[in-house]
Amino acid sequence: MRPFQYTRAQDVPTALKRREANPNAQFLAGGTNLLDLMKEDVERPDELIDISRLSLSQIKTIASGPNAGGVSIGGLGKNTDAANHPLVRQNYPLLSQAILAGASGQLRNMATNGGNLLQRTRCPYFYDVSMPCNKRAPGTGCGALEGINRMHAIFGWSEQCVAVYPSDMAVALAALDAVVKVQGAEGPERAIPFADFHRLPESTPEKDTNLNAGELITALELPKNQFAAHSYYLKVRDRASYAFALVSVAVGLELNKNRITRARIALGGVAHKPWRAYRAEELLVGKEATEVHFVAAAAAEMAEAKPLAHNGFKVELGRRSIVRALHMALNEGKS
Amino acid sequence: MEDKKQLVGTPVSRVDGILKVTGKADYSTDHPVKDAAHAVIFKSTIAAGSIKRIDTAAAEKAPGVLAVITHENMPKLNTRGGIRGGAMLQGPEVTFYGQHIGLVVAETFEQARHAAHLVKVEYDPKNARVDFEKLASEAKVPKDKKDEKRGDVKAALADATHKVEEVYATPIEHHHALEPHATIAEWQGENVILYNSAQIVNGAQNAAASTLGLKPEQVRIVSPYLGGGFGSKGGQWANLVLTAVAAKMVKRPVKLALTRQQMFNSVGLRQRNFQKLSLAATPDGQLTALAHETTTHAAMQDEFVEPCGDCSKLMYEVPNSLISYRVVPMHLILPTYTRGPGKSTGSFALESAVDELAYKLNMDPIELRIKNEPERDPSNGKPWSSRTTVQCLREGAKAFGWEKRQAKPGENRQGNYLVGYGVACGTYPANQRPSSALVKLHRAGNDVTATVELAAADLGTGTYTILAQTAADALGVPLNKITVRIGDSDFPSAAGSVGSVGATSYANSVQDACVKLTDELMAKSGKQFFVRPTAAQLMVSEKINDHQTRVDSKASEKAEEYSSHSFNANFAEVWVDTSTGTVRVARFLAATGAGKILNPKTARSQILGGVTWGIGMALTEESIVDPRWGNFVTRSLAEYHVPVNLDIGQLEVLFIREEDTISNKLGVKGIGEVGIVGVAGAVANAVFNATGKRVRELPITPDKLL
Amino acid sequence: MMEENEAPQLTEDEKKLFEDLMPEDLDEILDTGVNRRHFLKLLTLTGGGLLAYQAAAAEQVLTRPLSLPPEALPPSTLENAVDLSLRINGTSQKLTVDSRMTLLDTLRERLGLTGSKKGCDHGQCGACTVLVDGRRVLSCLTLAASCEGQSVKTIEGIAQGNTLHPMQQAFLKHDGFQCGFCTPGQICSAVAVLDEAQKGEASYVTGPVRLKAGAKPSPVRLSEEEIRERMSGNLCRCGAYPNIVAAIREVQSGKPVEQTWNFVG
Repeated sequence: MRPFQYTRAQDVPTALKRREANPNAQFLAGGTNLLDLMKEDVERPDELIDISRLSLSQIKTIASGPNAGGVSIGGLGKNTDAANHPLVRQNYPLLSQAILAGASGQLRNMATNGGNLLQRTRCPYFYDVSMPCNKRAPGTGCGALEGINRMHAIFGWSEQCVAVYPSDMAVALAALDAVVKVQGAEGPERAIPFADFHRLPESTPEKDTNLNAGELITALELPKNQFAAHSYYLKVRDRASYAFALVSVAVGLELNKNRITRARIALGGVAHKPWRAYRAEELLVGKEATEVHFVAAAAAEMAEAKPLAHNGFKVELGRRSIVRALHMALNEGKS
Repeated sequence: MEDKKQLVGTPVSRVDGILKVTGKADYSTDHPVKDAAHAVIFKSTIAAGSIKRIDTAAAEKAPGVLAVITHENMPKLNTRGGIRGGAMLQGPEVTFYGQHIGLVVAETFEQARHAAHLVKVEYDPKNARVDFEKLASEAKVPKDKKDEKRGDVKAALADATHKVEEVYATPIEHHHALEPHATIAEWQGENVILYNSAQIVNGAQNAAASTLGLKPEQVRIVSPYLGGGFGSKGGQWANLVLTAVAAKMVKRPVKLALTRQQMFNSVGLRQRNFQKLSLAATPDGQLTALAHETTTHAAMQDEFVEPCGDCSKLMYEVPNSLISYRVVPMHLILPTYTRGPGKSTGSFALESAVDELAYKLNMDPIELRIKNEPERDPSNGKPWSSRTTVQCLREGAKAFGWEKRQAKPGENRQGNYLVGYGVACGTYPANQRPSSALVKLHRAGNDVTATVELAAADLGTGTYTILAQTAADALGVPLNKITVRIGDSDFPSAAGSVGSVGATSYANSVQDACVKLTDELMAKSGKQFFVRPTAAQLMVSEKINDHQTRVDSKASEKAEEYSSHSFNANFAEVWVDTSTGTVRVARFLAATGAGKILNPKTARSQILGGVTWGIGMALTEESIVDPRWGNFVTRSLAEYHVPVNLDIGQLEVLFIREEDTISNKLGVKGIGEVGIVGVAGAVANAVFNATGKRVRELPITPDKLL
Repeated sequence: MMEENEAPQLTEDEKKLFEDLMPEDLDEILDTGVNRRHFLKLLTLTGGGLLAYQAAAAEQVLTRPLSLPPEALPPSTLENAVDLSLRINGTSQKLTVDSRMTLLDTLRERLGLTGSKKGCDHGQCGACTVLVDGRRVLSCLTLAASCEGQSVKTIEGIAQGNTLHPMQQAFLKHDGFQCGFCTPGQICSAVAVLDEAQKGEASYVTGPVRLKAGAKPSPVRLSEEEIRERMSGNLCRCGAYPNIVAAIREVQSGKPVEQTWNFVG
């Protein structure tokens, strides 16, 4: 870990100004990923601006604007609090479940909601500074493309990067059409639709998100929806808990009797960003919520997958997991 | 009445427990050594070649740095002094990825860690031999493991109507004791104290002394508590002597702890094995041939081969047998002993094959095993000191509810799950190793206290507790008046806590010392006794203030004439998710015959630990090497999946009551190792019973069951 | 050496009581709580254990200061120094730290509190778990500087005054450890799990986490599965998980949980 100056920001404008003044500074919130990466010498800020005590942790019903009636979750609130807040558990149990599927109790007590979105990939070639990695050191090549890539992407990867994005929470947020509110040192607050927040690697894998330098995530807005009764987050991993996903599936369904009127499906562990299964969603709308339609939708989505040498299993696993998650959502989380 | 006073065999809570639940048990780097500087190791980023240039200027100039040590300024050490795995900075050569190539010593850990990143290294790389899949065909007969043949396996296999010939693969595993290897070195003149976890206290002392060019008495190892070891702290590795050298160079105590990432290529590993198992049997299930051929890898300079064929030598009566090993040197760190060395991985292959054979024969796998139960040890013709395999199978089956198993695989469906039962056996040798003990008695009025001293280790096994129990019974001194002092090379030399010899060797030596001490007191009294008095009684009746005695114990010659082993039978119930392929071990029962159980509470914990390790081996643990560069891509505990609490279901432990005073006087056989043996086989067999899918490559991760 | 001073100020009756005690009775003592006076007796009863210096340490277990005053460091050792004041185990501490110093290293290297362990230093094992402002966190991924004004509780401060915490007692009784290295983290985590359950916090295995409109979380009664999931952030390489689960069940339910090992033959 390189030497860095530690400062604590007393308010949001000060934090943003300080950050703007030093391009090598980073915000410190929960620190669970940032300190981890600094110890590995992957992240090398020369200043940490501690924003963890800024008052951006509120969870509340949105009173006005395009998402009125939805819920706003403060960017600096802790994951544990988001997962357990009555407004979230009442209206977005999918989000609670996804948060609770991630990490451990200790880490969820530390990690913030905004920070969760900014987790970097767990690709071992990214973490190991002696390995080539275009995300960490652009131009050095991708160690995983022809290396060990069992954990890597099957959708949307490029020759430059085959990493996957590790968050569970974000997979639920993708399914829930969340909006990320961000604030820079200049100008008004910006609203980024969740689908546009994270990027595919393309030729610039060093950029994980469309957040501009120096911008701070102030809140996540969840639009009002009717998925609460029929939603589920399924996480498949190599051990029973405290492991990153091989594949995860977030499902939200709105039903009229047994007919699907609205469907949201997002996958984790398969791409450089939470992967919205638009194709599957489209196929489901208007259909009866039955096995045959679930299978067809899942198959259609996974047909587009492009597996690497060691992760072909994710295609079949993804297909089956979508079907299972749809059933679980239909049965209100009862297996 | 007498029985009631016996403490051996009762579930005494750990005497060191209070320190452990309050955070006061001192592990290596917890010892309050004043003014210690901090060292951080840096490692090679190639697997083969040599260091062309190493630029330490920036590191040396970094704030707080006291020294940067590389092969260029490292003193010459005796590399054949008993430190395992090389990597002692004796030259520019690099023989595996992540080899230690230097260390930074600084005032603080933060400064040392940062400066270590400032060292720039240029290499002359060579072609690295790191792809085991490709190199396996080059494997040769190891130096110390010739083929062991009996009868004609080839002919028997050719003639057989029923046979299994399959290859079973196990991955590289890492011990990952939760306490990373760590040392504080403190010089006092020409002598050095090394606070350092050691399963073999005297072994660590001798290796450090010999490597550093010192006499053993100049080196003191202090290791009262170990944060686990599992074989990786049996031998000692370069970090121990590097710390001592660093402390000498900066003229201050130095503290060095390996990082978790460094643990992957610093302290050995369990090697990857391809095990070809061939079994032949008559139609009614009599085995006619057993061949267990293991192919594996070792380091470039040193060989270590885990004895995968050991169980196959003696589990079954079979006239034609072959046990063989082939090993290929690779640019990877030296493999070493890992819990249940050879037996845990070997039994996975053997017991899977037996299960496959039972399926082909349409026999119950328990009955097939019992049918081939050997009367004597087939490998050497010696009689068993005792053997409990059949009891373990029978009693275990009863307690587990084996009769509920459906013989046909894939039939037991419960909602989204397929449920299966599996069984597998295991064994581990029971040996007593030379061990000394010093027992001191002290009297104040009618109050007699005892101190027991030996350089033993307690890595969570319960050594403190069982020795206190043993001495209490043997001296007639209450448990509360006994002080057990272990984990220090200043005490009489003792066996290591390795290979399940700890409890046997330590307890017998303490017992012998107590008996000898009592004899001496009786002689001193000059009286005749009709009933043998206790040492405590004699101290009081003869008004003796202090008496002490030391013994050097070893196995009896009679024990050599017998084959002595612990045995077990393992029963697993697994639930396999039909959508996702995830496997949960819902229930597991281990029936174990391990001689006298000194303390059922700590013994049960040892078995639970073995089973947990076995479940990890079966389902989650795997270290993966990049076949291009030789680095581990599983490089932290996020990728190397040690089982978590939720991975472990209902575990039951059953002990077979056993009197076996042939193997040693106390009849103790050791349980640390046998607990893992057979576990992975039971789980894999249960997965087959659940799904009809035979997985021959561990771990059984979800992708293998889709 | 402490053999002499250790046969303490017991009455003759107490002496007899303890000398007659069998191991099974030990559990009863643990069940009813161990205060400092009991502790010394218990230490005697259980053999004193231990090396002389361990015994000496043990004697001080419940009286040793819950954190030591920090040692002053030479200025060269402090880069980007941050002045810090916080409460550790109920005691106010003021010290100056390198901005890079984690809470874990501060506890271990500066305050003499070596109970919290460094198992991985990357948030992957749980051995460094402590309570900050009442919540369990990983001290290896927490900068000391960010703890300004906060209240930290470590394993050394878990005991309630001179009495072992019920969780510590239950771990002893159920042999919830072997090597003991993960134990401080396990116990801190377990103590927090009880609190989280009381607050009605859900886990991934809670099943449907949805609350009805207007409903608030209500206390969770922890099944074995719930305990296992909630404790999965604390690795135990020795494999004491079933015993840890038993200990937590016993403390939450307030009812003794059986320990089973069977002998046959």
